[in-house]
Amino acid sequence: MGANSSLLSPDSSDGSTHPSKLTLGEIPESCVALVLSYLDPPEICKLARLNRAFRAASSADFIWDDKLPLNYQHLVDDYLITNPRKLGKYEIYSRLTRPVRFDDGNKEFWLDKRTGGVCMSISCKALNITGIDDRRYWNFIQTNESRFHTIAYLQQIWWFEVEGDVGFKFPSGTYSVLFKLRLGRFTKRSNRRVSNYEGVHGWDIKPVQFQLSTTDGQQVVSKCYLENKGVWEYHHVGDFVVDDSFVPTKVKFSLTQIDCTHTKGGLSVDSVVICPTSLVKDFKALL
Amino acid sequence: MLKNLNSKHIQRFSYKYLPQFPISPNSPKLGFSRSQIANYRSNFPTTIMSSSKTIVLRSSDGETFEVDEAVAVESQTIKHMIEDGCADTSIPLPNVTSKILSKVIEYCKKHVETPNADEKVAEEDLKSFDADFVKVDQSTLFDLILAANYLNIKSLLDLTCQTVADMIKGKTPEEIRKTFNIKNDFTPEEEEEVRRENAWAFE
Repeated sequence: MGANSSLLSPDSSDGSTHPSKLTLGEIPESCVALVLSYLDPPEICKLARLNRAFRAASSADFIWDDKLPLNYQHLVDDYLITNPRKLGKYEIYSRLTRPVRFDDGNKEFWLDKRTGGVCMSISCKALNITGIDDRRYWNFIQTNESRFHTIAYLQQIWWFEVEGDVGFKFPSGTYSVLFKLRLGRFTKRSNRRVSNYEGVHGWDIKPVQFQLSTTDGQQVVSKCYLENKGVWEYHHVGDFVVDDSFVPTKVKFSLTQIDCTHTKGGLSVDSVVICPTSLVKDFKALL
Repeated sequence: MLKNLNSKHIQRFSYKYLPQFPISPNSPKLGFSRSQIANYRSNFPTTIMSSSKTIVLRSSDGETFEVDEAVAVESQTIKHMIEDGCADTSIPLPNVTSKILSKVIEYCKKHVETPNADEKVAEEDLKSFDADFVKVDQSTLFDLILAANYLNIKSLLDLTCQTVADMIKGKTPEEIRKTFNIKNDFTPEEEEEVRRENAWAFE
């Protein structure tokens, strides 16, 4: 980093030749950029409002190159529709923090603003749900509660199986898979949203099973009872590790309860979230 | 200087510089004649002069500092100069004043000399040295950043930049302007433009 930035601007040497009384407002732009690179993106953007020098320094390429994931060029090439004009690193970063839709618009990924980690949300419409075509079992409900404006609601069923998969060039690191679920639903009665737990049944008889696997052999299986009516919850399926940022990782996940001696129902399924393990608590805090 | 040259110097010299500097066909042993030494010296003046492996650094205001090579090469810039053979008599550093250079040398010395033997104690000692090292006035701190950048000393650059970053982290722009006496030179239109440009970070 030091070698790159000393070439940034010719005035990087000026500060030391005069035995000047330098203050924060007078240090050369390249020096400001160096200091800014030690802060996180929201801080950098806040400081861009300080004065012109800070504004210019905050968009220095080397700062954002460091914050972008290793494989950002692949992400840009594969998923962003950009004009032929080449984007600066700052622009790439800011663009990737806004959700980028792919796979027919049923999946989206974005960079976490603060850490630059890749997060992903997979809509229920992209999941394979057994019996989704039968309106006696499952319905799609339009609602603003979901990023994709659609949730899948289970009336009742014996064979409960929801599964999906995604292939993506995740930057190396550890990721967690979360299912966003809620027992119960909301209905509109005379323009007010009223919670409706009538259909909720069967979840206390046997636990549901969460499963996660990757093509390189990682596997996690867990069971739990679904409780807590009326609130959205992120159910943590498990974690997987990605070593190579430049090779697509294929992840399969599922949620099942296929004991056919009892029916279950009254469950809303919103989406599946994949995020860096360190950000799981941030997601849960948003609910 | 030739009078003081003895077999000890010659043996040490030839052993340590063997890979870099071609040695005379005569094997290094006792009994180099004065004429042989003089002949050698005229071909490789610097190697004999730097047999104790020190480097001379010259600041922008003309002061010279003699430092051990091991300390000097903490700076990647200086290291490359030496490797490229530019370190003949002394290395000029026109971008660094004597005041700052002496501080930088102090830092490098401490970091080179701290023994790795007792890891925990050495680590604590270094940490408290670093903490005291940056307790200087702002202007010196910024000069140190510029020097560390020019001389390419990563650990010093990390230390100084992190210190300044910690000073401004978490403060609003207004607070920073007040504390550091920074003028807001934006026009209202520019200010609005910046706000819009960076809105993505706060959505």
